[in-house]
Amino acid sequence: MSVYKHDYRAYSGRVTPIWARIGVLVRYGLAEALSSKITIGLFLAALIPFIVLLIQVYLANNPAARLLVSRNGLSWLEINSEYFLRALQLQCWFALPLMSWVAPRLITYDLADSALPILLSHPVSRFGYVLGKFIALFVSLASVTLLPCLVLFVYQCYFAPPGWTSANLSIAAGIVVGGTIWITLLSMLGLAFSSWVKWRTLATGVIFAAIFVPAGVGGIVTAVLRTKWGSLLNLPVMMTQLWQRLLGVPEMVRTGSDWSLPSTAILIMLLAACLVCVAMLNARIRAREVVRG
Amino acid sequence: MNDRIVFENVSKFYGEVLGVNRVSFSIPPGITTLVGPNGSGKTTLMNLMTGLVQPSSGQISVLGIGPGDADAFFRMVGYCAQFDSFPRGLTGYQFLFDSLMLHGMADYDAFRLASEALERVRLTEAAGRRIAAYSKGMRQKIRLAQAIAHHPRVLVLDEPLNGLDPMARAESLALFEELGRQGMHLIISSHILDEVDRISDRVILITGGYLIAEGNIHQVRQEVRDKPMQVLVRCDKPELLASRMFSVNHCVEARLHGDGKGVFLRTADIDEFYRLLNDVAIEGLVKIEAVAPADDNANAIYNYLIGSDGGAS
Repeated sequence: MSVYKHDYRAYSGRVTPIWARIGVLVRYGLAEALSSKITIGLFLAALIPFIVLLIQVYLANNPAARLLVSRNGLSWLEINSEYFLRALQLQCWFALPLMSWVAPRLITYDLADSALPILLSHPVSRFGYVLGKFIALFVSLASVTLLPCLVLFVYQCYFAPPGWTSANLSIAAGIVVGGTIWITLLSMLGLAFSSWVKWRTLATGVIFAAIFVPAGVGGIVTAVLRTKWGSLLNLPVMMTQLWQRLLGVPEMVRTGSDWSLPSTAILIMLLAACLVCVAMLNARIRAREVVRG
Repeated sequence: MNDRIVFENVSKFYGEVLGVNRVSFSIPPGITTLVGPNGSGKTTLMNLMTGLVQPSSGQISVLGIGPGDADAFFRMVGYCAQFDSFPRGLTGYQFLFDSLMLHGMADYDAFRLASEALERVRLTEAAGRRIAAYSKGMRQKIRLAQAIAHHPRVLVLDEPLNGLDPMARAESLALFEELGRQGMHLIISSHILDEVDRISDRVILITGGYLIAEGNIHQVRQEVRDKPMQVLVRCDKPELLASRMFSVNHCVEARLHGDGKGVFLRTADIDEFYRLLNDVAIEGLVKIEAVAPADDNANAIYNYLIGSDGGAS
């Protein structure tokens, strides 16, 4: 029998607030994401269209350059909502391979290494854990979508004549809202599917499949049943329509049929997809490891 | 503040699979050994104790705090999981530092406590190396360091001696003993019962999700009345002592020690046995050098109550 001296002292110093602890997980996540050369490569690749678009803004606002570049008309050099829609679309689709590469690194490794019981035995809840990973992924994706598009907008504001900025603030708002919806959805999809597939490479493939297989099915439904509602399974189509409306770009109309989906229907579908992702994460992100022993 | 770990009628089911069923106990400070065969529910019990899983029914209170108060609860509990698993790519120091940051320590405190924990498990020199390059014993040590680094009041250790060499095992046991003596709660699940038994005050026996016995090891042993107590008597004439003891009917078995200088005696009445042994000593026929219980330990209790097949007897 021990003789208890009761001289053990538990830690009684100050503790940081919960957001600071979640910040540790974000730091973990970003460090993990950036530790791969492929991640860096994807970041650099996402810079290429941005640089091209940046040059376009410069040329569009430089009379000498405009004269040199084009002698047959300057329509492609116009900086308007269509230009920013193109920029947002380009950058957002570059975010997809980046997400499918980074997301599995954030969660799959923890699951494969059974590190969750260790991490969740700290004063960080399952929600805090997922939030930390979500923020890390969101920040990574925002740096290749929202950030470049807003830099382009600011650059154009710098060159543009007075009044252009105030007249086009809705474009900036559209970029922020459209980009945020897209990267939120991508982050949720990435984390959810990564939590179900322990093999990282397979997880990357599954994420792509989760986006393009339903899109294919939606395309078949649309073609066979001659209905626009099949497009509700088609994420690229839904997002394109949403971005067009957010940036105020006139929608293209297919000859013979109205393929335009109501914004409410699109938002409900995106919300439903996010809820499914939450349910998937809730089912998989658990501290327990039921090992009989 | 309440100084006990209290389970009141706690059950945990994973769907239709039973983890533990209607478990109740109250553990005071000190070292408690959790004993049970594979699949008995030890890890579930530890997960419940550390707040990693919530009970399906019943109440859990650790030093007066329930798992619902997650911040206070997790800060009070240190957990060394049995799994050889770590967040990828970290050095030993980073693992401890980040763990302490997750516990809410400020940078300076995290640095100080991480260094202290590394010192305690003697891993200071290897702190800068990646955990992936550690030996199994070092990985076990760094897990232990992570569990104690934030100065918890309750330490739950799932198979903490696995993979350690004899020297490291002795160091770990000494550390557990020191922490137990200081008034910390240590709950240890281990298959190396002989070694844990030396430092343990209490035992919890579990099998098939049901609690079989709980309490002070000696008291539990005495409660096992259908298994006569075994006592080792070291003496100069073990054969004579054995024959003398057999003259009374409570002595049911005698077995000579391997070196011929002692005898294992099994008795159904331990008080009567000691009284008779006193008489023998006073008579001077046999020179008795030492008397020690031979099956008053967690290992024996495990064998008697659970048996090698893992079924409760």
